[in-house]
Amino acid sequence: MVALDHYLVLSGILFSIGTAGVFMRRNLITILLSIEIMLNAVNLTFVAFGRALGSADGQIIVFFVMTVAAAEAAVGLAIIIALFRHHETLNPESFASLKW
Amino acid sequence: MTTLLVAQIVLTLFVFIALLHSAAAMVWVERRLAALLQQRLGPIRVGWQGLLQPFADVIKLMFKEELRPGAADPILFALAPIISATAAFSAFAVVPFGAETTFFGLLDEPMRLQVADVNVAVLVIFAIASMSVYGIVLAGWSSNSKYSLLGGLRSSAQMISYELSYGLALASVLLLGNSLSLTTLVDAQSGTWLGFIPRWFIFIQPLGFLIFMTAGVAETNRAPFDFPEAEQELVAGYHTEYSSMSFAMFFLAEYINMVTVSAVATDLFLGGWHGPFLPESLGWIWFLLKVGALLFFYVWMRWTLPRYRYDQLMAFGWKILLPLSVINLLVTAAGVLYFGA
Amino acid sequence: MTDTAFYLFGAIAIGASLLVIAQRNPVYSVLLLIASFGALSGLYVLLDAPFVAVIQIIVYAGAIMVLFLFVVMLLNAPQEDTEHDVRMHPFRGPGPMRFGAVLALGLAAELGWALTRTPGDSAPFGGTPVSSVSAIGRTLFTEYAFAFEVTSILILVAMVGAVVLARREEPR
Repeated sequence: MVALDHYLVLSGILFSIGTAGVFMRRNLITILLSIEIMLNAVNLTFVAFGRALGSADGQIIVFFVMTVAAAEAAVGLAIIIALFRHHETLNPESFASLKW
Repeated sequence: MTTLLVAQIVLTLFVFIALLHSAAAMVWVERRLAALLQQRLGPIRVGWQGLLQPFADVIKLMFKEELRPGAADPILFALAPIISATAAFSAFAVVPFGAETTFFGLLDEPMRLQVADVNVAVLVIFAIASMSVYGIVLAGWSSNSKYSLLGGLRSSAQMISYELSYGLALASVLLLGNSLSLTTLVDAQSGTWLGFIPRWFIFIQPLGFLIFMTAGVAETNRAPFDFPEAEQELVAGYHTEYSSMSFAMFFLAEYINMVTVSAVATDLFLGGWHGPFLPESLGWIWFLLKVGALLFFYVWMRWTLPRYRYDQLMAFGWKILLPLSVINLLVTAAGVLYFGA
Repeated sequence: MTDTAFYLFGAIAIGASLLVIAQRNPVYSVLLLIASFGALSGLYVLLDAPFVAVIQIIVYAGAIMVLFLFVVMLLNAPQEDTEHDVRMHPFRGPGPMRFGAVLALGLAAELGWALTRTPGDSAPFGGTPVSSVSAIGRTLFTEYAFAFEVTSILILVAMVGAVVLARREEPR
């Protein structure tokens, strides 16, 4: 039988995959995609707990998380476009002018 | 139990084959109607009145050489028509086209003429419409050619812009019908006022119907919104580099999308399978007649109206259609609140 | 039947996510992420949340990912510059990559350990599912009405911000 545990383990694995993507990839768009993976893992946790506790709050919070993720993706991509116009590259290591 | 399963499988196969045949029928209808509207005859020689013309077209397309440009991305190039065709077929899976029937007593309990009875059917249609954007944008990108890329990006931008008005027009109907399930919405349109005016939502929501059909025409990339695939502008837009069966799949996807939009509009605004004179179990005849009427309007519009230029098209979608659909939603909500229907 | 569905969707989600972070071509990454979202949508259906499942497809797979795809295509996003980037195992990569891989593995181990410490709920799901859209709508517009309105302002701000950020500078 599939229990709450299984969903939490799956969500944990997805979150770790997303984190690995953020740490390891050197392409700004892939980093944003990894952040989306993390947000989805969190959504899965919310829905799983909402189901286990029998309340609609889990699904409603997922609704808000999705909205925030959409807004963040839009602004993040706009920033990437602006950066790309100036530097012609998507490698985050080249945006090092504030490094000391 | 097993008779129900068999009936479901038969129904699914029937819907699939009927959609294929409807695309073939649309080919003939389009060419003959276009000809008659332009005061010429069109294909009349292949079979009686040209009815076998679609089959001739399909055989020709099957025998053409399957080309792939050398610089094209092979996986995406092959995937794009598959996504388009799959999305087109799947959208019809939640559309009911007839009342509950027991198939002349073969089944124990009546089964709805709907492949999948989901209680969020309206949202599923909207979701699959969102997915069909990918077939086009991937076709444009993977062909690795200027015309295709421009056509693909323009077409997908157009589709996602008009999805908003599509959704808001849908939402207005949801306020009236109080449910997300298409069968419930159709059943809310049974009966008549004053004995002869049917309770179709189009009479309460005329503006909503117009917005829905306009957005639907723009969603399916048909004239007058077919700038991205206009021959004079972009060779053939996103399907420039496709030939033979891949092209046929895009073609098929476009016609089936038309049929799906017409079927959904029939269910939401024109009362689905309800109609006078015929018993409920033969309601699918009324459904076919209504869908046929809407498809006739589709073809009529294509060969009558000139094409919108792309910036005019986008301006229309964002600056005129979207505010209209929002106002429609607000007025509907106010009406529902006031009249308590 | 639902168990096999869970394992199938879970495998697709994990597999697609792993491929997302391992792909060089950003277009493939976006498409694989869409596949992962589809699998997650299936998992939501298994959790008796059809509304969230469909919203996931409409918003995430149908809108946000289209946005990503547009940006990737319009920027003609270059694949990562250095040659040794993906062909190499993460643990043998340069410093930051090795550190990142170790951190991610540490996170996974920690989450797994935390889950084994909880009074495990190996029983099937309790509680009654709240799957009707009307119930969600009612709660959304009564208890969470303020958050709903603030979210609309948030989207407006994001829209304005995105337009301003991505606009070309006017030639003086």
